[in-house]
Amino acid sequence: MPILEARSLTKTYRLGAERVVGVAEASLSLDAGAFAVIAGPSGSGKTTLLNLLGLLDTADSGSLRLEGADVGPLDERARARLRRERLGFVFQAHQLVPVLSAEENVALALWIRKVPEAECRTRARAALAAVGLGGLEGRRPDSLSGGQRQRVAVARAIVGDPVLVLADEPTASLDSETAGRLLDLFARLHEERGVAFLFSSHDPRIVERADRRIRLSDGRVVADERVAAGARA
Amino acid sequence: MSRWASLAARNLRRHGRRTLLTGAIVVVGFVAVTMTAGFVSQTFRSLRSATIRSVGGHLRILDPRAAGKTDDEASTILLDDWPGLAALLSRDPHVVQAMPKLSFFGLVVKGDRSAAYLGTGTIPALEKQASLAADSVQSGRFLSDPDANEVMLGGGLARAVGARVGDLVTVMTTTPDGGLNAVDATVTAVLGYPIKELDDRVLFMPYGAAARLLKAEGRANSVVVLLRDDHDAERVARELSKSLAAAGRPVVVKTWLDTAAFYKQVKLLYTAIFFFMGLVLAVVVVLATANTMTMSVFERTREIGTLLAIGMERSDVRTLFLLEGVLLGLAGSGIGAVLSLLLRAALNASGIMLPPPPGATRGNVLHVDFIPLAYGIGFAVMSATLLVAAWWPARRASRLNPVEALAHV
Repeated sequence: MPILEARSLTKTYRLGAERVVGVAEASLSLDAGAFAVIAGPSGSGKTTLLNLLGLLDTADSGSLRLEGADVGPLDERARARLRRERLGFVFQAHQLVPVLSAEENVALALWIRKVPEAECRTRARAALAAVGLGGLEGRRPDSLSGGQRQRVAVARAIVGDPVLVLADEPTASLDSETAGRLLDLFARLHEERGVAFLFSSHDPRIVERADRRIRLSDGRVVADERVAAGARA
Repeated sequence: MSRWASLAARNLRRHGRRTLLTGAIVVVGFVAVTMTAGFVSQTFRSLRSATIRSVGGHLRILDPRAAGKTDDEASTILLDDWPGLAALLSRDPHVVQAMPKLSFFGLVVKGDRSAAYLGTGTIPALEKQASLAADSVQSGRFLSDPDANEVMLGGGLARAVGARVGDLVTVMTTTPDGGLNAVDATVTAVLGYPIKELDDRVLFMPYGAAARLLKAEGRANSVVVLLRDDHDAERVARELSKSLAAAGRPVVVKTWLDTAAFYKQVKLLYTAIFFFMGLVLAVVVVLATANTMTMSVFERTREIGTLLAIGMERSDVRTLFLLEGVLLGLAGSGIGAVLSLLLRAALNASGIMLPPPPGATRGNVLHVDFIPLAYGIGFAVMSATLLVAAWWPARRASRLNPVEALAHV
């Protein structure tokens, strides 16, 4: 059973007097353990589609199922609950809370699930160790490098053991070397933990390493390739 | 909750200068409220004391026929056997003293000059201990002999008839049975009252002389009772009313507050001013804090978007901002309380003299009372005010669309 199944998702925006199509009739399904990318040029609707799939936004039409359950009828609170319990998010900018330490930023994803404090701390430290930031638990975001901050964001995304991590242009604000190391981290976490990743990116390095390449153009899915392991970079 | 409280506290620290400015408004507001409450309390206390001294005691015992009558109507009704009544009253442990008062009016004459007066016949020694008149002697000496034909005149009255200390004046009046009577009396003192209408009319005479003038020996318009404690008046009045009735002397007992219209008006006015000032302060604090919180929400839009995106409940986002408001209120109030106590100690040690309170003749040394209730209310009101101020910004934060918030620049 796919963990995510979208059928004919459409999202339009009002821009002045005009209606602009963000996503048009997008259909896709994602299996557990996928390492997929939504690729396409700027303005093609990648982020809009990722927001719809991540339950951050609602479609004008179409249907979306998460782990077999239709999320269409869910209200805002139920969608928020699914986001914090079943999904993880990595944003283009790290989007860490500046007044919290690295450990607390990671634990934040568990705090909002009302997990006991001691367990939050233990799991946050383990997640930081998993992304290679053991020993930096007490550092605030402003004393970490850009790559380290993005790793903290990744740790925050995986600490709740989600079925799917959605990452919107995760390498866009990183230099080439740091971006490469972050991609290695994503690949390792995918292999070790079996967690599914869905990126939105036009970074060719992400596209090359993905086992599923969904290409968007003007909000429409124009290609959906499954790539054999040997054909990946 | 402690996690969010900690996060709220850190966010306040993060915007240190802004927090300091808003907190300073809370501190000033708290100090203003508690200091004003302390000052107003002292003023009320002084005014109460002056009011009680103006009638010479806390309770007035009247003849039962005076029940339901106005003061003017009751002034013509005399109690019989006031010494017997005073003896009964003196048995009560709350009573310090009980003195008769004879009220009368007429003309005071010196040579070819005369003026109308409002007279009081009293026991000089008791009057001196309890009444405002003792503080008002401008020249001469207070009455001393309870039977002597002596008078003390208000300054205006003395000037009207051209009388000075040591002069002989004639005091004329109408007796209760309608006859005219007069007595010659020596002026022992000229008084100075702050209220001109009183200063122009007041006359004191020893009870014995007044009783002879009125042909009312052993009788009195009222017996004024001085109590040990100001705050016991209502209770003691009820108890005395019962015990005197049981002893075969039914009377009407009025407390000083029953006839203290001026005190009540001043208290009402001061209270209204105090609450108006508090309201203005609260509005200032609400506006300043709401502005700060709104800026904070605006600056942290992406952060809020992130929190909502990863699944934080909107109510938790709202709580986070409300906590910032409450914490600011509590911290500001705490600092305000310390400053208020320090300022109070400094002012109380300064020895600054204040002008007399309304209706009094003597000023007091500035003393700001410590009112624990004002501090408690200050904490509660400031926290509640900050909660109100934070409500709309917090609500706005909690209602942000996460997609739009994440895209906020």
